Amino acid sequence: MGSMASAKIVVLPMIDKQTDHEPVAVKPSATQSLGVAAPADALAPVMSEAPAPEPIPTVSLTEVMRGLLAKITRERIITAALACISIGALFLFWYVGTKYRLEFYIRFKNVPTPYEVYQQLTQVGLSNKYLVNIAISVRRILLGFFIAMAIGVPLGLAIGKYQRVRDLFMPVVEIMRPIPAIAWVPMSIMLWPNNEASIVFITFIGAFFPILLNTIHGVHSLDGVLVRAARCLGASEFRLILNVILPGSLPHIFTGLAVGMGVAWVSLIAAEMISGQFGVGYFTWEAYSLVDYPAIVLGMITIGFLGLACSGIIRMVGSLLMPWLAFAPGGKR
Amino acid sequence: MTMAEAETQKGFIDVRDMGVTFGANDNKVVAVENVSLNVQPGEFVSLIGPSGCGKSTLLSIVAGFVKPTLGEAKLDGKAITRPGSDRGVVFQQYSLFPWLSVRKNVEFGLKMAGVEQSKRNTTARALLDLAGLLSFENHYPDQLSGGMKQRIGIVRALATSPQVLLMDEPFGALDTQTRVVMQEILTNIWQQFKISVLFITHDIEESIFLSDRIYVMTARPGRIKAEIKVPLPRPRRAEMTDTPEFMNLVQELKGLIREESLAAMAPEIKDRGLSGFGMKVGPKGVGEIF
Repeated sequence: MGSMASAKIVVLPMIDKQTDHEPVAVKPSATQSLGVAAPADALAPVMSEAPAPEPIPTVSLTEVMRGLLAKITRERIITAALACISIGALFLFWYVGTKYRLEFYIRFKNVPTPYEVYQQLTQVGLSNKYLVNIAISVRRILLGFFIAMAIGVPLGLAIGKYQRVRDLFMPVVEIMRPIPAIAWVPMSIMLWPNNEASIVFITFIGAFFPILLNTIHGVHSLDGVLVRAARCLGASEFRLILNVILPGSLPHIFTGLAVGMGVAWVSLIAAEMISGQFGVGYFTWEAYSLVDYPAIVLGMITIGFLGLACSGIIRMVGSLLMPWLAFAPGGKR
Repeated sequence: MTMAEAETQKGFIDVRDMGVTFGANDNKVVAVENVSLNVQPGEFVSLIGPSGCGKSTLLSIVAGFVKPTLGEAKLDGKAITRPGSDRGVVFQQYSLFPWLSVRKNVEFGLKMAGVEQSKRNTTARALLDLAGLLSFENHYPDQLSGGMKQRIGIVRALATSPQVLLMDEPFGALDTQTRVVMQEILTNIWQQFKISVLFITHDIEESIFLSDRIYVMTARPGRIKAEIKVPLPRPRRAEMTDTPEFMNLVQELKGLIREESLAAMAPEIKDRGLSGFGMKVGPKGVGEIF
């Protein structure tokens, strides 16, 4: 009796497939109707091809692959072309504006040309000063961002999970959150023993709230049935948080990290401009003070590229850590 | 055989004088009232009733999610206070962890129990083979159909070798064809594991096809209206649904449920509602009725 039952189960998936996707049921009727339409002619080639069925699937498979490849590369080409067009348009606007010194409310009179900025890059780009400024900014960002993540994610999980923790922390969070990081500059200078710590603190403030709030949101949007399922499977409180609530909130946490990184850069540059020594923000502001216009643009472009690199890294880590999202409803694929 | 007998000693669910009330004072809602039921070791018992009759609440109590206001639920003589891996639960909603592969989902309960990786792997693969889904072990749940997800849900609940399986309308979200196949799969799996099952449903044919015994519940507040034994032989087969025995049971249960469904919708509806609200609509519309 037992063996019979198991035999039946092994057969069943095919039935299930049939009910889930209908092509299996459709196919026979299609061939049947073909046979009825042209009985002798249709059957003969099928019989002759029967002994050597192998080349047919391989040919169709490579064709399918080739078609897929062609589609992918065409998609890629279009994407790349559009990217070039958008960046090219920006450069063209800049180039035309500076070449003809356009004046229509906004004034291109003092704006350096792309070539001047390029020259600046080749001169300054090799200098220690420029690279050290970049290194210092990146270090501040990483410090502030990782501290924000190390506090924001666990606190967010706790606030999301426990009503009492929420009651305790949320009033403070709600008051602090609307204060922009830049508004913290004077207070930060008073609070911290040195300039470096105060700038890192401002960067931290910028990154912290997006990370915290998105983590809380992630916990709240987790389907309750998953928590119940985990409990039924014997998950302890700690295991529940580590193995269910954390991975379940991860997509929202990464949204928070990406937003937090953006705000961290905004905060850092502002802080460096106001109170800084060194850093890309300081470099840019110093260039303005020294009437070194090409260096201003170089500083801005540098900030843009650093921000792009940081959010790119977060996105990459995100897709590495969350491979299942590729298949989620409304996902990338 | 001695092993099987020893196993069937366990898995006795005993619910006594259960009452569940939600809210307080003016908002008080009596969900379940004075319910006593049991599931013998190795028995398949269904709980059937109209929507909102508290059948899911009863299952939640046995699962340990909800505490009863009155009475108690026991498993093998021990009072149920919280969820645990001695009771496998299959939910109506798909409850697989989307971030884990199919195999890791089945392994989850074993991982929580501290079973080592290689052993977890072996058990999970054996269960997936049983569910006919071994070739999908490295897929993510979002890549599977609803029927596949529920099959994995069932073997995941079985992975920790629970004494009982609690199922809350597990096939409710599936289409009719898939559903019928899933019922056969479930009855086969149950035949092999011989564990106690408490199965919640509102589908009459489903409850008869699967169960040894059926409890019919009344509309809210939920009480046990009838207890019906299903004398059909085991193992159950799809053809049995055409036998007169089966048909008679369906008719009997339909009669019982119909009364309660009407009561559940509204006391006023009774016959008026069913005969088109007893209204006559004139040529100028509803205004001319009275």
